[in-house]
Amino acid sequence: MSRVLVAMSGGVDSSVAAALLAGAGHEVVGVTMKTFCYSGSLSQGKTCCGLDGITDAKRVAAHLGIPHYVFDVEEDFTRDVIDDFVAEYAQGRTPNPCVRCNGNTKFRDLLDRGRALACDRIATGHYVRVEHGPTGSTLLRGLDRSKDQAYFLWGLPADLIPRLLFPLGDLAKNEVRSRARDLGLVTADKPESQEICFVPTGDYRDLLRTRLEPVHPALEPGAVVRRDGEVLGEHAGYAGFTVGQRRGLGGGFTEPMFVLEIRPDSREVVVGTRDELFEDEVVVGELNWLLDAPSEGSRLRAQLRHRAPAVETVVEAMEPASDVLTLRLLEPQPAVTPGQSAVLFDGDRVVGGGRIVRAGAVAVPA
Amino acid sequence: MEAVYLDYAATTPVREEVRAAMAPYESERFGNPSSLHRWGREAAAALEDSRASVAEALGARHAEIRFVRGGTESDNLAIVGACRALCAHGAPPRLLVSAVEHTAVMAAAEHATEAGLAVYDRIPVFPDGSMDFGFLRDALGNGPAVVSTMWVNNETGMVLPVAELAAIGKEGGATVHTDASQAVGKVPVDLSEVPVDLLTATGHKIYGPKGMGILFVRSGTSVSPLLYGGGQERALRPGTEDVGGAVGFATALRLAVASQADDAARIARLRERLEAGVTASLDGTRINAGGAPRAPHVASLGFMGIASGPSLVMALDLEGLAVSGGSACSSGSSKGSHVIAALYGADDPYVNVRFSFGMRTTEADIDRAVTITTAVVNRVRGA
Repeated sequence: MSRVLVAMSGGVDSSVAAALLAGAGHEVVGVTMKTFCYSGSLSQGKTCCGLDGITDAKRVAAHLGIPHYVFDVEEDFTRDVIDDFVAEYAQGRTPNPCVRCNGNTKFRDLLDRGRALACDRIATGHYVRVEHGPTGSTLLRGLDRSKDQAYFLWGLPADLIPRLLFPLGDLAKNEVRSRARDLGLVTADKPESQEICFVPTGDYRDLLRTRLEPVHPALEPGAVVRRDGEVLGEHAGYAGFTVGQRRGLGGGFTEPMFVLEIRPDSREVVVGTRDELFEDEVVVGELNWLLDAPSEGSRLRAQLRHRAPAVETVVEAMEPASDVLTLRLLEPQPAVTPGQSAVLFDGDRVVGGGRIVRAGAVAVPA
Repeated sequence: MEAVYLDYAATTPVREEVRAAMAPYESERFGNPSSLHRWGREAAAALEDSRASVAEALGARHAEIRFVRGGTESDNLAIVGACRALCAHGAPPRLLVSAVEHTAVMAAAEHATEAGLAVYDRIPVFPDGSMDFGFLRDALGNGPAVVSTMWVNNETGMVLPVAELAAIGKEGGATVHTDASQAVGKVPVDLSEVPVDLLTATGHKIYGPKGMGILFVRSGTSVSPLLYGGGQERALRPGTEDVGGAVGFATALRLAVASQADDAARIARLRERLEAGVTASLDGTRINAGGAPRAPHVASLGFMGIASGPSLVMALDLEGLAVSGGSACSSGSSKGSHVIAALYGADDPYVNVRFSFGMRTTEADIDRAVTITTAVVNRVRGA
């Protein structure tokens, strides 16, 4: 059996992933990525986010009798994920840092370091499946659709897929927990982590305040307006909003109002009724393909946010050179949000995806 | 095949004689040395006998040895305590520490500076083991000062010129501290010859218990405590004494000092075997501080053409060789070692591994270490 590097966050999923692989006879090496520290001076010590995760992962690894190491990826993570997160909010978009981390930092690093450790396979506790066939490898959605995490993995470098193992892809969450209990893993009843790992306070605006210039337009008050320009009120900074959001707009509307658009240049937050939220065209950029790129006219399914359904779509205005395409949604979807991912599926197969640029269509040159 | 442990500079096993000496004080002779009854007297006697034994082994006087909880506490007490004591007489002292100190000294120096107890600077150290004495002389002579340099560097084994530095420091009116955690039992340490005021040593580097150390405080040296409580250890380190630990430390030190010369000769041969083996089989290898006087138990090797230091140490571990990158305390961090940066510059292209040897190291261990290191470095260079 081969030597497998398993990314262990200290949560129950990756704990069970490591246990299953070890139980199947693989030589398993556990690693935890240290992504972010609130650096103090030498004399004040350092508190790291994920430090508890590291401790739990080490305990699980010791219990399973496998080696465990910590990969310090703080520098890469800050550059590739946190700086991007801050820049996206500053431009009025809603970033997805987990997608960014998986695509740019985590798996790349696991592969590079794994090579040094003579690990030919990389495994994680994501709820997705991978099929390794003679003609290539395919990433598939997790069998438990309520936990499926394919949405976060469209950005993986395609050349990595043949090296990946996802031991949880066929399991349901409750099965994973019960296996963890059967194995006596200390992480068996650990609650799900929902927050972003580098936002310890739970409010990402705290992070923006520390990482943007002291006075930044994204955190300055601006107008709440309707599409027709009617001013309805004031907001405390457009970085606090995402498309589809209802909270924080103030009250006194005759019907519920939702964020439709953020205009960083004028600091305006555009709002409208629920009906106005629906869009049937999406421009997607920064494309990445895990299978052959689709062609114009391809009919696929698109998922536009985490936990949203994958809806029927037609690929339009596909121009490989420009790294941008337009999707026409056969059924209009609410809250198409710039910065979020658009992931394309062919059945269960992950074809690829990109970042949503805006609702609408690519301008056709006259 | 069983893994090879070449990380004795990180820690050592407790030797059998030490365990045997400690055992009664963790069971039937469990008394508190401060108690006036027979249990207390018995414990107090053992504590003071241990103190006397430590003093004798180091060329010190009985009253000059204070038992503390390990090397880090001893370093902190020396640095912060000496600075605080000098502050009582006026402005914060200059604090001059070598650029290759252990983090226990570096972080204490930073804290002392942040707390307004000192103004600290690093004394440059060179790969041949010399120090910038001119820098030190210029910094001294303008009021009170504390000087600290380790006796043996934990990452490279380099022996620093403590006696000369202490003489310069004393001439300039400074309080002089040395961290001898990697020196006692490895090189001769005689406090009747070397005029330092404060010396740190710790038990677990010499086959004694963890969490047990000493601070030597030469008579007439002022040090303020970091903790407040009873009057134990002449009020410098309050808290009920760990009598078993003190007995263990004293026993370990006595044995280490008694066999120091013989051990040094044997272990130096093992180090030379490893360095010769690795440099013969791998190009682009540097023996760190190779031109400096060195304690026998550490070989620090730098390798060219490797992207990640931690990955190299992990890869060696997976193949059955336990070593450290730099020091054990910094293992896993991607930041380079401040010691190597001080000696070779911040842009030094080598990735460094510390091999350290001890009582149970055999020639067969060394040969296996050479084989594993050669294979893994070649693999990681190609990865």
